[in-house]
Amino acid sequence: MQWLDGLIQGVLLGGLYAQYALGMALMFGVMRIVNLTHGDLMILLALIGISLSSALGIGPWMVLVLLVPLAAAIGWLLQRAVLNKVVSEDPLPSLIATFGLSVALQNAMLQVWSADTRSLPGGGIEQASWQIGSIYIGVLPVIVLVAAICLTGGLSQLMSHTRFGRALRASAADVEAAAMTGVNPKTVYALATAIAVGVLGFAAVFQGLRSTVAPADGAAQLIYAFEAVIIGGMGSVWGAFLGAMVLGISQSIGFRIDPGFGILAGHLVFLLVLAVRPQGIFGRN
Amino acid sequence: MTPILSTKGLTAFYGDFQALFGVDVEIAPGETVALIGANGAGKSTFLRSIMGLIRVKPEMIQLDGRPVGGEPPHRIVSGGVAIVPEGRRLFAGMTVEENLRVAIDNASGRDGTWTLDRVFSLFPILKEKRREPAQRLSGGQQQMVSIGRALLNQPRLLLCDEISLGLAPRVIREIYEIMPEISEAGTAVVLVEQDVSLAKQASDRLYCMLEGRITLTGRSGEISRDQIAAAYFGGSDAVA
Amino acid sequence: MSQTQPLSEPAVTVRTQTASGIVAMVIGAGLIATLLSLPFWAEQGTIRSVVELCCYIAIAQMWNLLAGYAGLVSVGQQAFSGVAAYVTFILAQNFGINPYIAIVLSLAAPAILAVPVYGLLHRLDGPYFAIGTWVVAEVVRLITTNVGYVNAGAGMSLRVMTQFSAQERAIGICILCALMLIATVGGSYWLLRSRYGLALTAMRDNPVSAASQGVNVGRLRFLIFVAAAVGTGLAGSIYFSSQLRITPPAAYGAEWASIAIFIVMIGGIGSIEGVLIGAMIFYFADQWFGEYGATYLVVLGVLTLFVALYLRGGLWGVLTRVVDAPWFPTRRRLIE
Repeated sequence: MQWLDGLIQGVLLGGLYAQYALGMALMFGVMRIVNLTHGDLMILLALIGISLSSALGIGPWMVLVLLVPLAAAIGWLLQRAVLNKVVSEDPLPSLIATFGLSVALQNAMLQVWSADTRSLPGGGIEQASWQIGSIYIGVLPVIVLVAAICLTGGLSQLMSHTRFGRALRASAADVEAAAMTGVNPKTVYALATAIAVGVLGFAAVFQGLRSTVAPADGAAQLIYAFEAVIIGGMGSVWGAFLGAMVLGISQSIGFRIDPGFGILAGHLVFLLVLAVRPQGIFGRN
Repeated sequence: MTPILSTKGLTAFYGDFQALFGVDVEIAPGETVALIGANGAGKSTFLRSIMGLIRVKPEMIQLDGRPVGGEPPHRIVSGGVAIVPEGRRLFAGMTVEENLRVAIDNASGRDGTWTLDRVFSLFPILKEKRREPAQRLSGGQQQMVSIGRALLNQPRLLLCDEISLGLAPRVIREIYEIMPEISEAGTAVVLVEQDVSLAKQASDRLYCMLEGRITLTGRSGEISRDQIAAAYFGGSDAVA
Repeated sequence: MSQTQPLSEPAVTVRTQTASGIVAMVIGAGLIATLLSLPFWAEQGTIRSVVELCCYIAIAQMWNLLAGYAGLVSVGQQAFSGVAAYVTFILAQNFGINPYIAIVLSLAAPAILAVPVYGLLHRLDGPYFAIGTWVVAEVVRLITTNVGYVNAGAGMSLRVMTQFSAQERAIGICILCALMLIATVGGSYWLLRSRYGLALTAMRDNPVSAASQGVNVGRLRFLIFVAAAVGTGLAGSIYFSSQLRITPPAAYGAEWASIAIFIVMIGGIGSIEGVLIGAMIFYFADQWFGEYGATYLVVLGVLTLFVALYLRGGLWGVLTRVVDAPWFPTRRRLIE
């Protein structure tokens, strides 16, 4: 029963990780940029959400409605002001630029919000749960998982059936040829980053509701997102989703073996995948 | 009549290396012009400059008399220019139809002369393979996708960069057979070719390039082989 | 110091040393001598901060070798400095080995760790390699935090050091620092001037064409990765031995990566001079503005961003455009 519980909680945790990972899968698929501010942006959004909630006295769903457009705007700005200048075959400039930005963001958040951990009040939803036999299933984690499935499905549809998705995949395959076919890659990139960071708006609200956030937490979220993308196999949003499930389950099972082993188990599964199947579990050769 | 495209003293550089030295070319609406020259003569650089992939001064390239040099590629496309790039450059991981749709999505403002159905009737094999990943097609079929993609941008000027390269003679013939239909639609065509007799046959006028300069120009039917040979390999000044 | 090699027929010689290089070398020797004399006249606080500066230089130069030449951008070098430092503490504290000998012996640990890490991560390209190294550092940190033998999360103290007087400790650390600088900075310089130097420079400029010119890029990258792990490990061992205390968050903190990246990027990637300039700037900035904490780090981060966007060559890149006076000349010039 303990293991079944571990599995279920792992899947639910994976729902949250999937929300971290989707944006990264999208951005890497197009621009081959790993945005090191990925986790910090999520923390920033969560902290903004928490402040909005207490300043305006609004509930979590209203925060979500305000936060997602704000997140998308931040993503657009990030791409236009920083990332479009460093997109190139050489990964170093984008890595260094976002590294610097990450250090600056983390410390700016520390100035504004201090090092305290905070969470978003959910009006009771964070405690609600269903009991099935001896297993408790939280209502909120289920909502998070459902939201993750919807976001993944939506993104997947967007990629395969819309003008934007085609332009994005065309730019990913051959940016120069895409431009010669009339695509404006800079606009497509900015839109992709806006969507990627917009998804982080969802992640931020759910992270704030499910657990706590503090300015220095971004690094861990970045690593989880990255591990999910690699475990699942690069380049597909459903791959990232499944990678997030594997990561969540590994951590959850590991945690039940020994509380100190939870996060480590996730890392070890990641390294194992890298060693035996570097293209990812669901990736093609 | 204003030429659809004219270049005036076009110079282009790759870093310190100068690839074009004052190229003057004019293309009238609807005509087919061949651009020939040896490897490294500057033909591809010329096309890349027009497409906005190489930084040049605005007045060096004019579309309908409007300076457009150095504008980004997507602006050139919306101005009515499309290219069949060297090496086809299809979008890997996307199906034939998706490749074509990218062009439809981003076509110039011109009314839809070209439709998916019309491209499929030009190249019936593409209709059969529309759901297949583009990279799985044969070289000739890929070239057809690349041409179809350029046409679906609804160009008034179509640039074709070495479309016969690496293809079997039968396939080349098949592809060149559709050229008249493109011209009939009122589209001007620039054919960059290594195969001189093919270029001569398929074009109204002809330019020959050597080391970044135009060394010969004239009506394709009136230029002799000797003139071309001289312009192609250098030696004497030959302007017909 | 000038090396001249007569080539075959014409009266052409290859010169690789310059006047500025000779001046720099004399100054460098003077600085090393000053470092060695510190224990006899300087205060404890001064010595400690100079030791820190030496460690910054070493770690930054090792990162420069990785990112600037081998194209291996790592943000997880703290795995190697931390492991070496921990092994030093274990050997000295739990096995009673002389701590200075322990520091030297501990270098085997980063070398051994580097081999499987490279094997695992080398197939990740570019940015993914970077985060992969970070995961490795996290794994090593989490394992250390969970191992009771090294006192888990509480960390260890180097109590055996009390057998030496403060001055004896200072002498030992300063000698080690001098050796570390000679090994990391001098060693890099030697490497860049050796026959591998041309291959490394070619690899920095264009790995694909370097490979086509017969440079075994994979092998060279591997060797540099291991060498950088050892150099970084030495800095970690020296740093924590002088601090006398180590904890997992301190040993494996991402600040180490931040410091290395900041120094190299501000100073100028792909040059030894840049590292020295960047290290000096970081050192003084830390001394003067460190008290402003978070605000100071915001400025550092924004500066790094600015350099990545607009000033790829860093300060040394700007300087070389003004005057051509390399301190560590590695170019070969033909002289008729």
